[in-house]
Amino acid sequence: MAIAGLAATAIVAFIVVVLFISWFSNPPFGWGNAPDQPIPFPHTVHAGPVEEGGHAIQCEFCHRNVTTGAAATVPAVEVCLICHKQVNGANVTPAAEVDPDKHINIQRVLDRHADNNPIDWERVHRVPDHVRFVHEAHIRFLTQGEPETVTLPIGDEKPINLPLEVPEACSVCHGDIAGMAEVQPQDSQSLKMGTCLDCHRENSVSTDCTVCHK
Amino acid sequence: MVVDLDKCTGCQACVVACQAENNIPINTKDYFLQRRAYEWIRIERYWEGEYPNVKARFMPVLCQHCENAPCEPVCPVYATYHNEEGLNVQVYNRCVGTRYCINNCPYQVRMFNYWHPNWPHRMENQLNPDVTVRSRGITEKCTFCVQRIRRGEIQVEARAGQRLDDNRIAAGNYDPACVQACPTSALMFGDLNEPNTAIKPYFDDVNNYPGHHEHERETRGYRLLEEMNTRPSVIYLKKVDQYPLADKGAH
Amino acid sequence: MKLTRRNFLAWAGIAATGAIACDLFDDELRVQSPVDIPEDLVSGRDNWYATYDASVPGGQGILVRVMEGRAKKVRGNPRFPTNQGKQSPAADAILQSLYHPDRIAGPMLRNGPRGAGQFRPISWEEALNRFNAAVAERGDRMLLITEPRPGAFARICDSFADAFGGRHLAFDTVDDSAYRHAVKDIMGSDGQPYHDIANAETLVSFGSDFLSTWGNPTAYSVAYGKFRSGHRGRHVHFDPRYSMTAANADKWLPIAPGAEGYAALALAWTLIEMGLAEGDVARLTNGQGAAALNAFRPDAVAGALQIPDAALDGATVAQFFAELASKLAHGGLAMGGGGAAGAYSNGRFNASAALALNYLLGNVGQPGGLLPAPDTPIPGGIDARPAPLSDWQGVASDIAAGATRLVIVHNADPVYGLPARVGLADALSNEAVAIISASPFIDETTAMADLLIPDRAALESWGDDLPDPMPGHTVYAVQQPVVNPLSDLDPRSFPDVLLNAAADLGQGASMPADSHEALIRSNIEDELGADFTEALQNGGWWNENSAGSAPPPASGLLANVAALAAPAAANGTGEFQLLPYPHHTVLDGRNAHLPWAQSTPDPITTVVWQTWVDINEQQGRRMGLREGDVVQITGPNGSITALVYLNPGMPPGIAAVPMGGGRRSGSAYATDRDARESSNVMSILAAAQVDGSGGLAWSGNRCSITPAGDSMAVAKLEGDYTSREIGEHSAELVFKSVSEEGSH
Repeated sequence: MAIAGLAATAIVAFIVVVLFISWFSNPPFGWGNAPDQPIPFPHTVHAGPVEEGGHAIQCEFCHRNVTTGAAATVPAVEVCLICHKQVNGANVTPAAEVDPDKHINIQRVLDRHADNNPIDWERVHRVPDHVRFVHEAHIRFLTQGEPETVTLPIGDEKPINLPLEVPEACSVCHGDIAGMAEVQPQDSQSLKMGTCLDCHRENSVSTDCTVCHK
Repeated sequence: MVVDLDKCTGCQACVVACQAENNIPINTKDYFLQRRAYEWIRIERYWEGEYPNVKARFMPVLCQHCENAPCEPVCPVYATYHNEEGLNVQVYNRCVGTRYCINNCPYQVRMFNYWHPNWPHRMENQLNPDVTVRSRGITEKCTFCVQRIRRGEIQVEARAGQRLDDNRIAAGNYDPACVQACPTSALMFGDLNEPNTAIKPYFDDVNNYPGHHEHERETRGYRLLEEMNTRPSVIYLKKVDQYPLADKGAH
Repeated sequence: MKLTRRNFLAWAGIAATGAIACDLFDDELRVQSPVDIPEDLVSGRDNWYATYDASVPGGQGILVRVMEGRAKKVRGNPRFPTNQGKQSPAADAILQSLYHPDRIAGPMLRNGPRGAGQFRPISWEEALNRFNAAVAERGDRMLLITEPRPGAFARICDSFADAFGGRHLAFDTVDDSAYRHAVKDIMGSDGQPYHDIANAETLVSFGSDFLSTWGNPTAYSVAYGKFRSGHRGRHVHFDPRYSMTAANADKWLPIAPGAEGYAALALAWTLIEMGLAEGDVARLTNGQGAAALNAFRPDAVAGALQIPDAALDGATVAQFFAELASKLAHGGLAMGGGGAAGAYSNGRFNASAALALNYLLGNVGQPGGLLPAPDTPIPGGIDARPAPLSDWQGVASDIAAGATRLVIVHNADPVYGLPARVGLADALSNEAVAIISASPFIDETTAMADLLIPDRAALESWGDDLPDPMPGHTVYAVQQPVVNPLSDLDPRSFPDVLLNAAADLGQGASMPADSHEALIRSNIEDELGADFTEALQNGGWWNENSAGSAPPPASGLLANVAALAAPAAANGTGEFQLLPYPHHTVLDGRNAHLPWAQSTPDPITTVVWQTWVDINEQQGRRMGLREGDVVQITGPNGSITALVYLNPGMPPGIAAVPMGGGRRSGSAYATDRDARESSNVMSILAAAQVDGSGGLAWSGNRCSITPAGDSMAVAKLEGDYTSREIGEHSAELVFKSVSEEGSH
C-alpha cells in the first residue's frame, strides 16, 4: 500500500514538476540567468548611453536585418572589426580605465577574424517551436505610422508614444538591453504565445494561427 | 483556386514542386506499397472507354479548402479550423493524431504522418525554413502554401506606397508552388475576397447555379462531390471533348 | 517506504533533472556569426538567382531560392523564353542531386578489380598528377565522352581532345539522330526547329511524346496550355504507344509501329487532292500534284497503318483523313517524327514526312507553324550533338584494336545506355584502357573507372547552353554557380580541370580561354556584345528579332520523301513489338539516383520506383497475366524481367517498357531493387541502325513475353486513395467533360 501510494505520488509529482519546468523554462524565461557566451559582450559598452560610458550604437547597426527581415541576425565578425580595427586595446589610453579582461576579449575577436573562425553565440531569446516570428513587421508597426499613444499588454503596460525610434522599439519586448552587461532573459518580455496574442488582439492584428504557425 | 482539367496534362510538375516547397518526406517504395505515400497534391488518373476509344483523364486533387468542411467539426482538439481568408488550416502543434478528420474528408486529401520525418544526410539542407517539419503522428495537408502568402503580404506592406511590380519574383510568390510550376497554367489561384480576381467569375457562376441547375452554368465550372454541399474553394473546369466517346450518353 | 518530505524532495529533484535533460537540443540554442557576411548569407532572408538546368529535356531557365548559402527551391525563370516561368517535373530534383548523400566527395582511385566499384580517397594533387600523366602518355589515343552540351563546355572539350590528338563524342541514350538528319536534309540546320503550338489551330503529331520527354516538353506544355485557351485548338496524335501525349490528344489513333511516315504522307495526299494545301504544291511534287503521292492514298496505306475501325468513329480511313485535312488547312501544324518515331529502320522517312507536311501546309516560318532554328550566336558546340550508334560501334572496336587507350567520361553512361550487343562494356573491361570519370555520381561507366575526379554539381558551377529547340529565335542560356559545395565535399570544375591540364602540359595556347567562366564571359561580351552581369541576372541572353530562316524547300521534296518510304524492319521475333520509352522523370536513367524522380508517379500507370511493362489489358488477361506478375521479356539480345501493368489504353501487341531501371552501380536509390522489378530495357535491344543516319533503331525490336512464375506488389499511386468518386461513380461522372459545342 505504502509503496503504491509512494509510486502514485511520485508519478504525480513527476508530472507536476515536468509541467512546472516546461512552463517556466521553455521558452527559457523567468528562470535561469544569461548563458555564458564564448566571448563576453557587454551591451552597456556598445549600446549604452554616452553619459554612462557607452557608445550608443544603434541596435540595427549590428543587428542589420532587424528592420528588413524576419531574423534580427547576429553580426558577422567583420562587423565587429569596423570599430575594433582601431579600438584594439593597443591604442587605448590609460584614462579609459581599461579592464585587462577587455583587452583579451577584443583580442579574441580579432583572432577569430584572423583565423577565419566563426563565433558560436549562445541564444538568449528563443520563441517556441513552430513559430515563425518576423522582426521587420513588428519594428515597422512601432516605428512608422501616425503619432499615437498606445498601451501594449506586455511588460509593465506603460503608455507608449508611437512612433518610436528603432532602439526603443526593440526595448518594448527585449527590455533595456543597452543597460545590461549580460543580456538577462528574465528582464525581457515573456515570449509565450499568450503575450503574442494579447498584443495582436489589442492592436487588431490578425490572430489567425497561420500568421505565426506555417 | 480554379483547375482547368482541359489543360492538365498530368505531368506531375505540381506534385514535385509541392514536395520541394513543403518539406514532404521522400515517398519510398515501401510507403507506396503500404499505401501510406503522401502527396499534398496528387494527380488522379481515370480510365474512360475501351480500347481503342480509351481516354486517360487527369485530375489534380488537393485540399479543397471547403467552406463547409467535414473535417473541421470532428476534430476534438480544434486543430483544424476555417480562417477568415477562407483557408482550411491545420495547426500541427494542436493535432494529437486522432485521424477523425482524415476519415471524414470525402476527398482523401488529408495525410497522416506515420513515420518520423527523415532525410538522408545532406538532403536536409534543402528543407524550406519557412515550413514546419511535421513530426510523426499528426495530420497534415495542403495549406495553399500559406508561408508564401504571408511572405508576400509582409513584402507588400513593407513596400506600401512603392511600386509593387518592381520585383517579379516577389509578385510570383503569391502563387502556391503548384500553380507557379504548372507548365500549361491549368491551375489558377486568387483571393476570393479581392473583387477583381480572375477566378471570381467561375465561383459566381457555380454559386449562382448550384446543384440541379448545373446545366445552366455559363462556364465549365463544377465542384467535386457537389451533392455533399461541402462548398469547396477549388473549382474544376470540365474537359472539352472534341471527339466524345460514343457510349457516353448511355450513362 | 513512507512518503516523507525528504523523499518527496529527492524524487522531485530526480524528476527535475530528467525534465531538464530531455529539454532542448543544444544546437537550437546557438547562433553563429560568420566571419564575413556576404549579402546572401543573412538568416531568414532569401535570394533568388537566375541560372540554368540542362538536365531536363530541352533545358530550362530556372531561379533558385538560396537561403544562408543553401539552395532551397527551384522555380522556372519567368523571363526565360522557352519555359516562361514554368518548370518540368524533374526541375526540383536538381536540388537532390546537389545535396545527395551519395555524391562522390572528392578524387578517388580504384582499389580493387575493375568494375567492382571499390575506391579509396586521394588528394587532388595526386589525382591531377595522375590525370596529367595519363593525358601526356595517351592523349593521342584519348576518347572524351561527355553529355551533349553545346557552347563553352563543348568548345573546351573539343579543343582539349584536338590539342592532344584525341576525340570527343557526346552520348545520349535516347538516340534522335534520324530526326536530326531529316532536319538537316530538309531545313539545312543543325538545331531542331520549334513547333509553334501556341498559335496553331489544329495540331497533328506523329509518334513523338512531346508533352513528356521529346524536344522541350516544358516549353511545349506551356504552348499547349495556350493552344487550349481561347480558340481551343484541336490535336490529333498518331502513335503506336499510348503515351502521355496520346492521352492528352483530343483524338489518338493507334497505328502500326513505324507507320508514322505513311500517315503523314497519306495526309499530304489528301490535302493536295482536296486542294487544301497552301504550300507550293507544284514545287514540292515536281509538278505531279497528288500523283506524286499516289502510293500513299489513305485507302492504299490503310493496311500499313492498321488503325482499328472502332477508332475512326464509323468513318473509313479516307473519310477520316479528309475530315482531318479540312481542319488542318487552317492554322494546321504537323509535329513529330522524332523520338520513338525516328527510331525505326525507316526513322528518317517518318521524320522527313512529318517535317515535309509542314511545307505542304505552308506554315514554315509562320506564326503557328514550324519555326526554323536560328543561327548559332557563339562559336563551337555544334559537334556536341549526340553521336549516333554507328560511332559507338566504332568506339568499341577502336578500344578492342588498341586505337583508344584512354577514356575520360563526364556525365555520360554509355555502358548502361547502349545495347549490350554494342560491346562497349566488354571493351572497357580491358585493363589496357585507362578510364577516368569526372561524373559526380557513380554510374555503370564510372564504376569501371580507375580514377574519379568528381565535377561540381550544376548549381555549383558555370555553364552555358544553346537550348535545342530554340523558341523560334536565338537563345543563349547562362548557368552560374548559386551555392558553394558543402564543406564535406571537394569537387572541382571539370572544364577547369581540362584547361589546367592543357596548360600544365604545354597546350594552353590551343585552348579557347583560361577558365570556363572566362570563356562564358567572353562569349557574352565579345560574341554577343551583351553585358555580363545583365546576362547573369536574366539567366541568359536572347534576341526576339533573330528568327531563323530555312531555305525554300527542295524541288520535289515530297517526292524525295516518298522515295525514302520503307516499312519498318523488326529485329528479333516474338508476338510483341518492344517499345522502350524514356521515363517521364527518371528519363533515360540519368535521374535514377534522385528520390523525387523515382517517387513521382508515371502519369499513365502511376507506377513508382519499379520497371513495368505496359500490356493491353484484354490481351494480358487472355494470356492469364495479372498486374504485378513478373514476366520475362525476351528481345533480340537476351532477356529482362519486369512487372506487368495491364493498361487499358495500350494497343494489343505492344510491350512498352520505360527506360531508366536496372541500374546496378551507384546510389541505393537507383540500385536497391532486385532484377525482377528493376531492369534495363536498353540492354536487350538489337544494335540495329536507322537506315541512312547511323542512329540506334531503339523502337524496332520484337520481343516475346513469358510469365516467370512469380508475382510482386506494384508500387503505384493508383488505388492508394480509394476515393469515393471511384467507388460510387463511373469515371465519366467524376471527370465531367463537355462536347466542343458546349464549351466556353
